[in-house]
Amino acid sequence: MSTTSGNMAGTAGSGTIGARVGRLTAWVILALIIFISLFPFYWALRTGLTFNRALLTGDQSILPPDLTWLNFKRVLGLASDAEMVQATGFENSASFDYLLALRNSMIIATVITIGQVFFSAMAAYAFSRLRFKGRDQLFFLYLTGLMVPPIFALIPNLILMKNLGWLNSFQGVIAPFFLMTPFAVFFLRQFFLGINRSLEEAAIIDGAGHFTVFRRVILPIAAPQMVTLAVLTYVTAWNEFLWPLVVAPQEENVQPLTVALNAFTTQVPGTQPDWSGLMAGTLLAALPVLVIFIAFGRRLVDSIQFSGIK
Amino acid sequence: MEEISNMLREIKKLRLLAVLAAMALAAAACGSDGDDAAASLDEPVTIDYWLWDGNQQPFYETCAADFTANVQPNVTVNIEQFGWGDYWTGLTAAFASDSAPDVFTDHLARYPEFVESGVLVSLNDFVERDGVDVNQYFPGLAELWTSPDGDRFGLPKDFDTIAMVLNTDMLADAGISVDDFNNATWNPQDGGTWGELIQRLTIDANGVRGNEDGFDSSNVAVYGFGLEGNFGAFGQTTFSAFAASNGYQATDEPWADSANFGDEALIETIQWFADWIAAGYITPIEDVESLGGTTIFQNGGAATQTNGSWMISTLSGDATEVPVEYGALPVGPIGERRSMFNGLADSITTSAENPEAAWEWVKYMASPACQEVVGGGAVVFPAIPSAADIAEAAHASNGVDVSAFKVHVDEGTTFLFPITDSASRIEDAMGPVMQQILRNEGTAADLIPPAAEEINSILGS
Amino acid sequence: MTAVSPDVGASETRPKPSGKKVQNLTGGWPVAFWFLLPSMVGFLVFFLLPTIRGFYLSFTDWNLIGNNGKFIGLENYEKLAGDDQFYASMWRTLKYVVINIGSQTVIAVLIASMMDRLTRSSVIRGALLLPWLMPNVVVALLWLWMLDGSIGVVTEFLKFIGFSDDLAFFTDTGKVIPTIAAINTWKYMGYTALLMFAGLQTIPGTVYEAAAMDGATEFQMFRKITLPLMRPVLALVLVITMIGSFQVFDTVLVATGGFGGQPGGPVNASKVIYLYIYQNAFNFNDLGYAAALSVILVLILIIVTFFQLKLLRAGESDLA
Repeated sequence: MSTTSGNMAGTAGSGTIGARVGRLTAWVILALIIFISLFPFYWALRTGLTFNRALLTGDQSILPPDLTWLNFKRVLGLASDAEMVQATGFENSASFDYLLALRNSMIIATVITIGQVFFSAMAAYAFSRLRFKGRDQLFFLYLTGLMVPPIFALIPNLILMKNLGWLNSFQGVIAPFFLMTPFAVFFLRQFFLGINRSLEEAAIIDGAGHFTVFRRVILPIAAPQMVTLAVLTYVTAWNEFLWPLVVAPQEENVQPLTVALNAFTTQVPGTQPDWSGLMAGTLLAALPVLVIFIAFGRRLVDSIQFSGIK
Repeated sequence: MEEISNMLREIKKLRLLAVLAAMALAAAACGSDGDDAAASLDEPVTIDYWLWDGNQQPFYETCAADFTANVQPNVTVNIEQFGWGDYWTGLTAAFASDSAPDVFTDHLARYPEFVESGVLVSLNDFVERDGVDVNQYFPGLAELWTSPDGDRFGLPKDFDTIAMVLNTDMLADAGISVDDFNNATWNPQDGGTWGELIQRLTIDANGVRGNEDGFDSSNVAVYGFGLEGNFGAFGQTTFSAFAASNGYQATDEPWADSANFGDEALIETIQWFADWIAAGYITPIEDVESLGGTTIFQNGGAATQTNGSWMISTLSGDATEVPVEYGALPVGPIGERRSMFNGLADSITTSAENPEAAWEWVKYMASPACQEVVGGGAVVFPAIPSAADIAEAAHASNGVDVSAFKVHVDEGTTFLFPITDSASRIEDAMGPVMQQILRNEGTAADLIPPAAEEINSILGS
Repeated sequence: MTAVSPDVGASETRPKPSGKKVQNLTGGWPVAFWFLLPSMVGFLVFFLLPTIRGFYLSFTDWNLIGNNGKFIGLENYEKLAGDDQFYASMWRTLKYVVINIGSQTVIAVLIASMMDRLTRSSVIRGALLLPWLMPNVVVALLWLWMLDGSIGVVTEFLKFIGFSDDLAFFTDTGKVIPTIAAINTWKYMGYTALLMFAGLQTIPGTVYEAAAMDGATEFQMFRKITLPLMRPVLALVLVITMIGSFQVFDTVLVATGGFGGQPGGPVNASKVIYLYIYQNAFNFNDLGYAAALSVILVLILIIVTFFQLKLLRAGESDLA
């Protein structure tokens, strides 16, 4: 389980001038790509910190031309009427319960992630480790699930939720993503395929059952990929919009941040998009994911480096 | 053996899922089961009501509170607001799963499709039983919500008309008064006196006005006239007033099975707009599509625009730095001005479990009691004249003269929103064609007739 | 379907060099059943049944709002065969996919190999993944704002460095598809790179060391070592991203329908297949026709995926 490739960065090709130039070029390109990735976020922050009226003057200064925290305040429902007028021009009470929506998003994304990653891992184990009749056909069938336009499943799933009495409930929002997604199964299977078999073979020869092998051997070895998938699943669940909108249109105790934020931005009167409020809201909505991402990011990086057991 | 116990533990958990699957299959097998409505108001009942206009929500919240307090103590109204786009998506999905709200704000462009799908409750029996006076509304509004079979599917709540929106600072700079606009005439040949005003209001980057020598049409700083938005098929806030004052009528009657899009009166109107965009007097459609016409106007990119009465509170709001007055639409070749007359109503869905309670709420919203509350909010014009007067007075107390919008109703110079059973398909057929013409990527005479034929085949089928 | 199976899941079925007896290692249905049960329930209820239902609906004139319709045989498919809008929207989608997947994959491979060879910084990796954290709708709005023809910061910058005045990205019929493709490339390049990077980690450093010893340049190592060894993950990434790319929708809806525009505009220039399906279902209430369009889209995706997996011999890595 040793880190075999981690120390390559400094050594390879450092001998020739050409290689050095190459590395320098690579660094420049990487820096440029990072800048392109990050700049829009900075611009979103700058926009969120600026009054709407200042935005439309076309001022491109790198710092907020008309700095204010008001947009964040009003998204959080902390702005007074006078401040609302100052920010939007309207004595508007548009706001949403950020903490409630945050709680809902966390419940939804957490439950979906736990269920989806675990159950998909079980399936991936079967598809990568077990041999049974029709396995590859079944796997390809799962794959075709990727190709079904989500819009296609929307209505039947909605009817199902209605018949189960799960409209406007957490069950309804969570159910379609709880047991699997074709992506999750596909993802884990591809990585499980790369795991060396010798350990589990040893375990099975020692008399362990498949569930034990799955739990004690595969899951720990595949932890980095599981964490990666969990992060991907969490973010996807966090950003889901259309499904919670249609399945829980009338229950604020269930609606996630995306839906609440959207309602907030459409409540603001006027014709111009409320860029400031929107960007402030978006950043606030993305913040929890960011925190989780940073917390797990370290783990992601550390664990992803060991390249299986060779 | 540990493995087996693990398995068993897992199986117990999975049994729940098996049940779920079975339920799902059963659910998929049986269709929607009709709820036999217990039409009673003796027990507490909650009505779900959807609307899209966040500006009006506070006033309907007040109406709902009054309704429960004074009219039907057992009926609570739960109001949900969605943005315009999400509203229709959500509503369609809700209808598809038979979970629609009991009552919702309906639009003339959409309701025929709901009627054809059989998801709206006819109000005829209720109206007759309770003796609701459908003549209490502005003439024509109640009829808009009646199908060819004579079924009524909504009670009017408000109406809207179109007027000129004028930036008075820019008018003053050009030496033009609001009355100049009130007295202006327009025609699709040279634009008439209205066109001359627009040219004078246009200023290029060098400060040269549109009616002066050396005007640079490729580098305009302020356009004389700003398009409110994309044309679409009906151009409610854009071309409709001009085409109608040129003698054009989209359909001969509501629910018609053909339309008049091939009419020369429309073609020359649209071509005139395209020509004047090319000449630099009207905002380029590309700018309008990316920024929104009203944003351009509010930021001084255009001196005037046409817009709907529902925008008054935004255009004259505290936030706008542009001083605005409202002027009459120009008189066209037919010798009169014309504004589209449109209105919203509340409809009851077949998903309503207690239609009686839903009806009580609809009836209340369509009554003076609620409409006067809404009118006092000065957001829209209520459908009942006395309540509309309250709205006008409320605007006046804010220092806003809205008579340019109301004059159409008082003088009877309105034409009805063209009701068809395929509004979205018509939009889809004509909208892109309009975009193309306004980009001057083809002429109206070449592009409109084929689309007009397509629309007639849609309506005829 | 059977033809693909050797490629989809081949590596672990190869005879082991050791020749160890693996009879009881591979379970069989009695074991597999329990491992697959939860996911099968999920797949059945939320993917397969809706698909079967959709397939059935494509032979009806189902009205979405009214939730009713009757069997009309192949009528929807006959209509589809003569529907210019269908072909046009498919062609636009194809253009989008080529631009999006092309640029995204190249950039992602570049980023992944640079992350692998240059730095292990988790900060850099995190920074590159940030765009992916944003919901599509917000991404579309953000770029709509930054690319605004008159006051967008990117537009202003491009003018500043000498590009012409004509920078109407969303309102020019020729630019709208490349623009939306570029936006999604921005959003997904880090994500795609991370997936590829995870795959790169399975390549032992010793391989590079040996190559460097032999005097191979970075580029040679990339071409001769990195690319071939990445194949299983490249297959995963390409399949996933291309299917997603064919289904591009909300970015288009928001970016072109946002304020003054018409979704799919200008002049239908960005009306991609998924938007056309959405319109038929949600605007025209014609769920039957929308279903028929979806069936064709699914078929196209199955064919594309099949050839992708075949071409990339998905299950294999030259390392195995």
